[in-house]
Amino acid sequence: MDNNLSILVVDDELSVRDSLSNWFLEDGYDVDTAEDAKVALKKIEAFHFHIVLIDIKLPGMDGLELNRRIKAINEDTIVIIMTAFASVDSAVQALKDGAYDYVCKPFDPDAVTHIIRNASKSIQLSRENLSLQDRIKSLVNVEYIIGQSEGILKVLEQVRIVAETDSTVIIHGESGTGKELIAKAIHMNSPRRFFPMVTVHCGAIAESLMESELFGHERGAFTGAQYARKGKFEMADGATLFLDEISTISMKMQIELLRVLESKRFTRVGGNRELQSDFRVICATNRDLQTMVKAGEFREDLYYRLNVFSIEIPPLRERPEDIKLLSEHFVKLYADQMNKGTRYIGKRAAKALNNYAFPGNVRELENLIERAIVIGTGDTVQLKDLPFEHQMSKPTWESIQDMEQHHIEAILTKYDWNISRAAKALGVDRVTLYSKIKKYKIEKPK
Amino acid sequence: MPLIRIIPLQFSSVSTMETMLSVLSNRFKMETRLSGQHLDLTPFFNPVRSQYNANEIIQKLLPLAGEDDKIVGVTDLDLFIPVLSYIFGQAYLGGSVALVSGHRLENRRYGLASDPQIFSDRIIKCIVHELGHTFGLKHCLKPGCVMVSTTYVEEMDQKSDMFCQTCQNELSMLTA
Repeated sequence: MDNNLSILVVDDELSVRDSLSNWFLEDGYDVDTAEDAKVALKKIEAFHFHIVLIDIKLPGMDGLELNRRIKAINEDTIVIIMTAFASVDSAVQALKDGAYDYVCKPFDPDAVTHIIRNASKSIQLSRENLSLQDRIKSLVNVEYIIGQSEGILKVLEQVRIVAETDSTVIIHGESGTGKELIAKAIHMNSPRRFFPMVTVHCGAIAESLMESELFGHERGAFTGAQYARKGKFEMADGATLFLDEISTISMKMQIELLRVLESKRFTRVGGNRELQSDFRVICATNRDLQTMVKAGEFREDLYYRLNVFSIEIPPLRERPEDIKLLSEHFVKLYADQMNKGTRYIGKRAAKALNNYAFPGNVRELENLIERAIVIGTGDTVQLKDLPFEHQMSKPTWESIQDMEQHHIEAILTKYDWNISRAAKALGVDRVTLYSKIKKYKIEKPK
Repeated sequence: MPLIRIIPLQFSSVSTMETMLSVLSNRFKMETRLSGQHLDLTPFFNPVRSQYNANEIIQKLLPLAGEDDKIVGVTDLDLFIPVLSYIFGQAYLGGSVALVSGHRLENRRYGLASDPQIFSDRIIKCIVHELGHTFGLKHCLKPGCVMVSTTYVEEMDQKSDMFCQTCQNELSMLTA
């Protein structure tokens, strides 16, 4: 018997309350009783009962009204109506109001046992469903967004905040930082996650095809349009529309897009029927849209329409602590894919990766590791497997001072001459770093 | 010394009594006696349902039980509790009184030839089950255990008059 379920018996007859509570206690359920609707509601507000059995005829508020009140408090509560043969019509009304089932009094012992067992199964199924949904949700969160840096954790926190809403999101980030992954994370944690995320790579679609791609077209709309075709707006009904590289769309399309974003209504190319679609927009760009607005390259009204919630993904060079985690992730990923035994990253290779600025961000790191797995042998990625081996293996300096000077220059360049961050990376304080800069006469590039 | 006392209340199958006493004494490790006490059940008859109200009979039997004693009323009459159309037996969890009816355990009620052995088996299982409740045992899901909940005689024939190991252990703990 399911000992985790609680049952409330609501009946004005003491003998019925006693009989039923004893019956359910013998089955191992937690049981409480109430003599009228008022007492029942008080108990339901104070404690969550999984199943409530209600006699349809109660003094004061009747069982039908009590059922409706219980459903208003907690829709998941299973309500079973007990009725005499004469009031089956009322029981049917209760079912329409959301009651789970009804039994006619007096009922066969078997009937009540079956109803309660079915209700228990139903509760168990919804519990399993919820836990499955949670598992899917958490899997999505943890699996493909790698990083423990403050920067990436802040991005994930923003994802969490905005995911539950329906607001338009704009994701800024350099090429290769993983803007589409962040868009997917928002979508997969949103109430729209059970529908697909429809992606439009704006930069990859020719201007002439863009309209048909977004709005769809009717048969015969243009030469070669043999059949009608759904556009991305239509396909994203109930889902999320991800517009990647939004900065590349033409001024004409910007006007069209603004109109659709505001009304969620549009017409297929060559059609005259207005269609409606309920989609949420997430867009991404590697360009500064505000600068484009100032330069007259991007419509201001569209910019403000899109810029409801903004997420900035920091470039990889600003979160070097993620390089190790990402490298290890890609080593495992590609070694498994290529059926190779590579599992580790050598010390010198790891150091070289850590010192590299990665202008192509995570995508570049991924490609470097993939290449290293292809050409490498053994279980460890070596420095020689990485394309910048020659830079690291042939130093032009000889003395320790030379080495120190070059290292400080490299770190200062890496951190864009941010003295605090460079000092932290070098493991010295700011005063020491300033004195070294002075000592080696290192100059900031103009 | 706590006792189990069986009170026949308009119960005709006297031949089953000896086996009944022996099985109960064995299952509960308690002295079990036949009681000569009498209770008139006429006031508990419900003419609308043509049945006897088990809850009311139990209330009437309560004062007859000593502090640690258990009482089992056994009858041929058809029993009900207000919300159910019939019952084989009734007892309160951790209470001191159980009531069992042989009315619906008779093969004759199902169009079959009477079989005293089957009847005896069924009523003993029913008494052990209800007495189990008075000691605090709940329904069990292990097939064959006497504490399995049964609402049809066919189901009752599937189980034994023995406790499963889990129920036996629990009973030992509850009676220790």
